[in-house]
Amino acid sequence: MQLTIERVLAFNGLDVLVARDEGLFEAEGLDLRIVAPAPDEMRSAADGTLTRPVTNQGLLVDRGEAGMFQG
Amino acid sequence: MVVCAALVVGPNSSVFTPQELAGKLVALDYGNGTAYAGLLMLEGAMAREAITTCGATSHGGDRLAALRRGEFEATVLQEPWITAAEKAGCRIVSTTFFHGTWVADQSVSPEAYAAFLRAVTRAVRRINADKRKYVTYYLRDFPDYPELAGVTADDFDLNRVQLKEPGPIPEAEARWAWEWMSSWGLLEGAFDVGTQINRRVEREAHAHATVSAG
Repeated sequence: MQLTIERVLAFNGLDVLVARDEGLFEAEGLDLRIVAPAPDEMRSAADGTLTRPVTNQGLLVDRGEAGMFQG
Repeated sequence: MVVCAALVVGPNSSVFTPQELAGKLVALDYGNGTAYAGLLMLEGAMAREAITTCGATSHGGDRLAALRRGEFEATVLQEPWITAAEKAGCRIVSTTFFHGTWVADQSVSPEAYAAFLRAVTRAVRRINADKRKYVTYYLRDFPDYPELAGVTADDFDLNRVQLKEPGPIPEAEARWAWEWMSSWGLLEGAFDVGTQINRRVEREAHAHATVSAG
């Protein structure tokens, strides 16, 4: 089985990073892939407003390049 | 994953409590959970009309650097930036925690999600058994970042590192979050649990995700 997720950092995905590094996904038969947008695609939250935020979360899921993201 | 968010002011700020931030500029990375945690902390301390925010980068290190330059009175940080801020003499005026939530599209099967949950559950148990060992991950995310110079694993307050085994989303929590966000104009329409949560996939995945102790 394969699952692609958007990139996480330790503050919101320490459990995922440890599971990846210690082979726990592999032990479950899961080929977990972690992907991130290209640097020139990254948008800054500073460009958004409270009611019209600018975020990179879900960008790759929207494009069908990942199946999950951490919200 | 449970995320810790802290409302932080600079070393020379006259602010010691969240109430004292009424009418003062607080930088938030709009669109991210940290920003909403910040709004919640402010909302608990003052009338909404007194909350004054500006948009800021989602990079906590850059927000901390801007705080230290005096570009705003306060910001909301997550780890490792809370620890870096304390090490730099900044002051925490409020702390809260919030759940990170996985959002999946229709392509994710219950079997794949169950395997993901089992692996994450085992990781949570390993981390909780030795948090100090794993806080180095917070530093690994930002190699050579100047705001982290001198920060070591021993500096982290482990009470801010909270991990919980994954479980289904309680409907009441999802509804409350939706309605709260709607009240700020961030979402439109009424909450519909059937639209927001695929209970069939969730139920099947969690049924297959049981991990025995040990």
